Amino acid sequence: MNADRIGLALEMRQVSKRFPGTIAVDEVSFEVYAGEVHALVGENGAGKSTLMHVLAGSFNDYTGKIFINDKEVELHSPSVAKKFGIGMIYQELSLAKPISIAENILAGRLPRKGFFIDRGAMRTEAKRLMGKVGLDLDPDLPIEDISQHEAQLVEIAKVLGTSPCILVMDEPTSALSREEVERLFDIIDGLRKRGLAIVYISHHLPEIFRIADRVTVMRDGKKVGTKDIAEASREEIVQMMVGRSVKEFYKRRERTIGEVRLRVRGLSRWGFFHDVDFQARRGEILGICGLSGAGRSELARVLVGLDQADAGGIELDGAEVRGEGMAYYLAKGIAYLSEDRKSEGLALRLSVEDNTLSAVIPRLTRGIFFNKKDGAATVRRLLKELSVYPPDPARTVGNLSGGNQQKVLLAKWIASDPKVLILDEPTRGVDIGAKLIIHDAVEKLAEAGNTVVLISSDLPELVGLSDRVMIMRKGRFTREMSYEQCTEEALLLAANGEESA
Amino acid sequence: MMGNLSAKAASAADGRSVGSNRLGGFVNQAGIYGIAFLFIALGAVLQSFGVINNFMSAQNFLNIIDAVALLGIVTVGMAFVTYSGHYADMSVPTTMALAGIVSVEILKYGFVPAVAAALAVGLAIGAINAIVVGRLKANPIIWTLAMNYVTMGVIRFVWVNKQIYPDMKTDDALTLALFDNIFRFRFFDLIGLPVLVLVILMVAGQFLLMRTAYGAQLKLTGSARKAAKFSGINVERVVGIAFILAAFTATIGGLTVTSLSRVGAWYNGAGYDFKAVTAIVIGGMTLAGGRGSIIGVIGGAFVIGLMNNIMTLLGIGTFSQDMIRGAIFIAVVGINAKSLRSLGRDDA
Repeated sequence: MNADRIGLALEMRQVSKRFPGTIAVDEVSFEVYAGEVHALVGENGAGKSTLMHVLAGSFNDYTGKIFINDKEVELHSPSVAKKFGIGMIYQELSLAKPISIAENILAGRLPRKGFFIDRGAMRTEAKRLMGKVGLDLDPDLPIEDISQHEAQLVEIAKVLGTSPCILVMDEPTSALSREEVERLFDIIDGLRKRGLAIVYISHHLPEIFRIADRVTVMRDGKKVGTKDIAEASREEIVQMMVGRSVKEFYKRRERTIGEVRLRVRGLSRWGFFHDVDFQARRGEILGICGLSGAGRSELARVLVGLDQADAGGIELDGAEVRGEGMAYYLAKGIAYLSEDRKSEGLALRLSVEDNTLSAVIPRLTRGIFFNKKDGAATVRRLLKELSVYPPDPARTVGNLSGGNQQKVLLAKWIASDPKVLILDEPTRGVDIGAKLIIHDAVEKLAEAGNTVVLISSDLPELVGLSDRVMIMRKGRFTREMSYEQCTEEALLLAANGEESA
Repeated sequence: MMGNLSAKAASAADGRSVGSNRLGGFVNQAGIYGIAFLFIALGAVLQSFGVINNFMSAQNFLNIIDAVALLGIVTVGMAFVTYSGHYADMSVPTTMALAGIVSVEILKYGFVPAVAAALAVGLAIGAINAIVVGRLKANPIIWTLAMNYVTMGVIRFVWVNKQIYPDMKTDDALTLALFDNIFRFRFFDLIGLPVLVLVILMVAGQFLLMRTAYGAQLKLTGSARKAAKFSGINVERVVGIAFILAAFTATIGGLTVTSLSRVGAWYNGAGYDFKAVTAIVIGGMTLAGGRGSIIGVIGGAFVIGLMNNIMTLLGIGTFSQDMIRGAIFIAVVGINAKSLRSLGRDDA
């Protein structure tokens, strides 16, 4: 046993954390070696974030023992955790946008010269830390002027500045494109070689297989098991996460595809996309695949009336759609599920019911009376169909888990019964259970004769759901693949501009 | 099976979501009348110990209700601005003053033209606010403050510091009598016309907020403007209408105060901006928008009226009363923000 523990940077022994009414982390033991990338996976609510919050010193009432470099420690406050070398990189960036990279990296410990900040030393130190993550930028640039990917690296540089021995990364790639992810992985690899212990939280299994040495799976607050990546298969891990076979994933149902509903001709928005032609039929799920920056979201914004096209036209059931503003397009039957659930999708402070009915207010109005009650049955039906938990229409949406919020967002658009529903990253950052339910609902929507346009960077999702996939590259549609031709690999190659064999 | 799975996943994360929505909503809206009742009880106790006199009398309660009526009228419209997530309309004081002055000026053409002219001027101010804040997205407080100053400048420029008396402007005795006395009219010698106007506005406002498509759209816009926009709501129009409603009730309030004081003057609306916001916040409408009710807000105005009455009976001076009202405003906003934050619901 002792031999096993040599080189352990972190050992958590039977750690538990209770919240009123629930055990979020239930006697979990978790070990990470120095020089190891250890993936931590599980559905939303499985307890992995809570476990990491224990490590970050967020709670002073956890039970169990924690050892760092073989020394028992009590992590009862964030400052104590920091002192013991724990560095946290959260999903949402903690950088202040208007101030410079250097000031962000060295926030709280700016070098001083007497009363004044030593600007020279600040720049030199920031440069040094930026070098560690391969970032070659002017440290005086404000964060708002750099890309999300660069900001992510700044965040890592900032944490490295506190010389951590254990680095926790929570979904660090959720906002990055594929090339950026690769660059991030190179940096993580470098950190691993320098002997850091890295805990890597992600929903993205391919990433885990690409970067991790070992993986620990959690479910319902308990540890299900730890495996060497070399010995594990994707199916096996998904099975551990959900407690069922991965074969249930994407079991495609037959759909009847009807006549053309949406026809897009020569649509262009200068600088973003050009000469986009396509059509989508009743009952069809049309996937749109492309790397970030390919113009997918810009295309979606024009299709739903948020931006104006510079050229080309959109036809719905043979009639030109020409008008300004989202309200007009929505009234015509083109709805848009935004990728930004928290600000563009849901009103987090309002109830599940208010949110579900928010796109159908005119339809629930008779004369001057707005009858929310008329929508109550719809809300109840959708909550049931989408297994929203808790199924309480009066619950504030912001209090639901991410996956359930996403289901409510989908419910809102299903309630509006659109002719064409454009989905922009409908399952980003949600757990597998919620994902399955959302996919099922999207398929049902198509089966009912609605047209779905699916924009996603989740390749298995595109492959599994779409009847056809259009590949978008540098603002143009470069290829179309039928369901039969479509594989993850083929899509990825096409999106990168290479022909698959 | 799917349902089971996600239910399990969610229940693990459910420790944080223990808010009891319905009860909280009820306390927010109805609780203010409980507080009003406590103030009445306080007044009764103070009187029974002989600290104050004449609190528990029909005449005093009529006085309180009369005093509340004017503030209440102005508050109904302002509440729509708060509910829309735009805090307050700080141009209300001069809207009231200008509407009053204009009505007196136009009185020579008759009573109806006078009222119509006041409404036209008031709604014009509202329309400017609607465009600048609703469409151009100016900061509501800064913009309406600026609007208040500009309007004050117009009043001072055109009318200097003059107080304009209705009898200087018209020779028609009937029009004059109507203008001077209309808001003094009492039904059954008891309920004043301003009280009736308030009740009508309150019922109409509550209906508009709770039972119409506009109310539903305003709620969504006030809670999350971007999400409202992405739901196909014309948020610019929705917010604009809120500012026009605020200008409308400010105009009615301006007419009321001008008629009651029988003088049009620049100071006629002074202080109603802050008094109205205080009533709104005490009445359970949070500054973050999308929460509260008109009934609750009028309860807030009622509580302020009771408080003022008791403080006056206690012999507390005007300035001290201002300080106390200010302190209560700060406390309510503070408590509100804190309780919402602790429920993890708000950032206001």
